[in-house]
Amino acid sequence: MLSIKNLQVSVEDKPILKGLNLEVKAGEIHAIMGPNGSGKSTLAHVLSGREGYRVDAGTAYYKGLNLLEMAPEIRAREGMFLAFQYPIEIPGVNNTSFLKKALNEIRKHNGEEELDAIDFLSLIKKQMNLVEMKENLLRRPVNQGFSGGEKKRNEILQMAVLNPTLAILDETDSGLDIDALRIVAGGVNKLRSADNAFVVITHYQRLLDYIVPDFVHVLSDGQIIKSGTKELALELEERGYDWLVDKAETQA
Amino acid sequence: MAQQTNNFSNWISQQIEADTTFTLSDAVRSPSRSRLAEGIFPTRKDEEWRYTPLGQILESSPDMDSRSAVTPEFINKLKDAMPQAHTLVFINGQYSENFSDNQTHLENAGLRISRFSQLNSTQLQMVEETILNAALTDDNIFQHITLGLAQNGLFIELAQNVDTQTTLHIIHISSAQGDTSFTNPVQVVRCGENSHLKMVEQFTSLGQAAVITVPASYIQMDKGAGLVHYKIGIENNETNHVSNTSVRVAESGTYQSHQYLLGSKLTRSNLEVSFTGPDGHAVLRGIYLGDENQHLDMRTYMDHAHPHCSSDQHFRGILNGHARGVFNGMVLVRKDAQKTDAQQTNKNLLLSRDARVDTKPQLEIFADDVKCAHGATIGELDPDALFYLQSRGIGKKDAALMLTRAFAAEISQEIELISLQDYLQDKIAASLNEIVNASI
Repeated sequence: MLSIKNLQVSVEDKPILKGLNLEVKAGEIHAIMGPNGSGKSTLAHVLSGREGYRVDAGTAYYKGLNLLEMAPEIRAREGMFLAFQYPIEIPGVNNTSFLKKALNEIRKHNGEEELDAIDFLSLIKKQMNLVEMKENLLRRPVNQGFSGGEKKRNEILQMAVLNPTLAILDETDSGLDIDALRIVAGGVNKLRSADNAFVVITHYQRLLDYIVPDFVHVLSDGQIIKSGTKELALELEERGYDWLVDKAETQA
Repeated sequence: MAQQTNNFSNWISQQIEADTTFTLSDAVRSPSRSRLAEGIFPTRKDEEWRYTPLGQILESSPDMDSRSAVTPEFINKLKDAMPQAHTLVFINGQYSENFSDNQTHLENAGLRISRFSQLNSTQLQMVEETILNAALTDDNIFQHITLGLAQNGLFIELAQNVDTQTTLHIIHISSAQGDTSFTNPVQVVRCGENSHLKMVEQFTSLGQAAVITVPASYIQMDKGAGLVHYKIGIENNETNHVSNTSVRVAESGTYQSHQYLLGSKLTRSNLEVSFTGPDGHAVLRGIYLGDENQHLDMRTYMDHAHPHCSSDQHFRGILNGHARGVFNGMVLVRKDAQKTDAQQTNKNLLLSRDARVDTKPQLEIFADDVKCAHGATIGELDPDALFYLQSRGIGKKDAALMLTRAFAAEISQEIELISLQDYLQDKIAASLNEIVNASI
């Protein structure tokens, strides 16, 4: 589904990703862990098409499509979703009409009929239960005045409504208390299927108690320095990142 | 200011010599005509006019030789904004009996609408008092042009204790063809004690001929009165519009102004509001939306001279192309105006590199127990918000349009007349659609 080879990316002439490789297949959950500044968020942003990143080398294919040449909205319409680490507040844009517009753009792209207001409302109400979100947040402007936890739940709600094939969760656990974390993770678990895949970017192992990954990768200084199964996350929790990072530096 | 010889000034002198049909007395006319005789126009050296060029107006000698016929279809489209309202139509400054609604039934409801030529002596005195009391701090020559050349005018008089459910919709149409034409509508509004009125003033053009529009409004609100005043400018791209509005709010009165500058070559809108007693309240809102070489200048002067009054201003500008916006807002809190609450916000969105806005929020406080705040921002579309919308599948143009419309909607959603809110939001959306499609 997602195939990244030797991806090298710089920001303002500073290399951040230095030859990253990653293969994600349908039905899999991959966790990407790593210390601050290792390039985790850069990876999420480059994959979703944010401006300000220069790809110096390498390729990223998604469903056989050359991801790096696609506009962000086309990536989304092809089934990619990024749950933001810091969801953006958009004053004046109603949360419901925003999400209805987004869903219908995706449906249009895929040759499906657009949903009318009634069908959309019944869909969104169903998915709101999934993230235990209060209904009044639907009537508010996108993320405006939402608490940190509400913003993250709103991301998962959007994900549930848009039903992506590949979802990238960028530090969705940061700033969440344990209840919110449980709800967010529960949402992801209900959405996972044999046809979709998740890339969960996180600093802490804690989220992986709730979203159990098939693979864990350690990102350090722009490269994946170790891959393993969920036991690797537990080991990181116990020993920290230093032993791996030091080892990688010694080898380099 | 300096005396200038210019076409427009010469034209004004000719009009004064030729005119014999003025209704108002010398008490009102003479001061204005003396000012006109001096022929002194503001220049870019005057602080109040620093950003707004008057060159095109000063080069004009208006001459209305021919006009297009105004059709019922054209009027009906304008009435769509306010289908339930009582409509008054002025075409090239002349009252149109044909297109205006019959007023007899309104008088029974305590609302009397007259032209100056119909006034009895008591009313005339009231009109002249209202005008003379309304000294504008920005004593620019344009209100003297309006008064000095006024042949007629509109007097809207609301009796005491009338909560009229009728909304007045006053439509000004210029239908000139060919040469530059000129209109100078004068309007006096008197709201009696504890009476309430909603009023929509709309300026529009039929055809593309150049027009100089110089309206003046004088509004007197008695104790406890309430007025919601909408002013909408959707004129053609050859129109120069300079308006002066002076509002006096007595004890416990409430004045609301919503201004929408959505079309013209150049608009300068002066709005001055003074509290003449305690416990008054003013809400001033406005949007200026410009493209190409349009110039939109919004000036407010909020005079707090009495205690326990509040004023709340929020103006937003959206500018594209080479358009230029100006916001100049003064809040004056005089020594006796204790417990004043005055807020002023101006936000601007620039959609192109060549668009420009000059914003000048000003606060002068001479009382010590007040709550005042003001702020201004100028920015572009937020790239993070754009990306957020795109990342959800919304195309870049649609995303830009959503954000721009939302920026305007935060002001327009405060319009309580729903049909008018829809009408204006549609107009704004149509303009923005054009702008965004052309620029992104």
